[in-house]
Amino acid sequence: MDGSSDAAIVARVVRGDVEAFGQLVARYRDRYFRYAMHMLGNREDAEEALQDAFTRAFRSLSRCDDPERFGAWLFRILVNRCRTSGARRSRRLRTFVSDETALMDASEEHPAEQRAWREEIDRALARLRPDQREAFVLKYVEDLGYDEMSAATGVGVSALKMRVMRACDRLREMLSEVHSV
Amino acid sequence: MSDDNLFDDGVIERIADELREAERPSADFDARVMASVRGIARARRRERHGLWNRVTQPRTITVRPWRAGLAAAALLLCATLVGWGAHAFARMEAAAPATLASSGSQRIQFVLVAPNAKKVAVAGDFNGWDAQHPAYQAVHRGGGVWSVTARVPVGHHRYSFVVDDSLWVADPTAPRVIDDDFGTTNSAIVVEPEIR
Repeated sequence: MDGSSDAAIVARVVRGDVEAFGQLVARYRDRYFRYAMHMLGNREDAEEALQDAFTRAFRSLSRCDDPERFGAWLFRILVNRCRTSGARRSRRLRTFVSDETALMDASEEHPAEQRAWREEIDRALARLRPDQREAFVLKYVEDLGYDEMSAATGVGVSALKMRVMRACDRLREMLSEVHSV
Repeated sequence: MSDDNLFDDGVIERIADELREAERPSADFDARVMASVRGIARARRRERHGLWNRVTQPRTITVRPWRAGLAAAALLLCATLVGWGAHAFARMEAAAPATLASSGSQRIQFVLVAPNAKKVAVAGDFNGWDAQHPAYQAVHRGGGVWSVTARVPVGHHRYSFVVDDSLWVADPTAPRVIDDDFGTTNSAIVVEPEIR
């Protein structure tokens, strides 16, 4: 992959080199797809949300104030897009359907017990309130600091800490019901 | 309270470890995104050309005799300066920039025919692409003819007309450069040193 900085690639795209945008897609797609998967619970919605986020970013690229931080800017777009998508769709039902498919397709490399553990985590995550799920994933999966979380979500640090705390309590509670942790 | 450590009893870390496993979209994901952005770029080009056509398409212009006389005088001046302006003027569209004598920089006359415009300016790399620059505000000469004469440094430059502070219009009689999907197609000009 080209080692150019985000700012250099953004500048090329803004000058008319549309194909250079592919480097930004390749750079951020996997990490941000994981976030969308956790927030929306199935591949179809996650891919749709991420594609839409990239498309919106492309449309507005000339208004990206700090191209060096293109990734953070794109992530804010994705966070908002996942909120919108999550509010529109019945996530839990789709998640369970998705989980069944995932189980059928699961590799034998993963012991059944580990698969079951992962399945329970996904179910528990799906049952969290969206704002708590968002805060938990940002904090513990994306490994963001609270200031970064605040910048990405537009939510105050105190509120985010409370959401993370409640998400953790709820996850412990749900997982202890079905699994000895 | 110590927010980071309060929940770190191992359970949450086990959950997080599972969720940190890589997830990848479908193999054709990049292709779909790029197809989408190429479509946006094409639509923008079409839109620009549509706007361009609305500004520059030959149209019937009703002018009062004194205005027509003023316009004819302005056009004649441009044609004289440009040398090859007859073609452009015949279409009543625009005249290429004409150079006037100087050294280190030259005085360039920019002319655009835009009958429906309320304001026309020139923005280019020689004025920081500032469409509000006072030295590059065109004056309506009548009959939809706008012109401004301003000093431009010797060298290669890109520029564009800016109509009504919002519509960027390349000079139809000058070479065009850079098909910019986020801005405009600019015009190119080479300002030669004065020949003594």
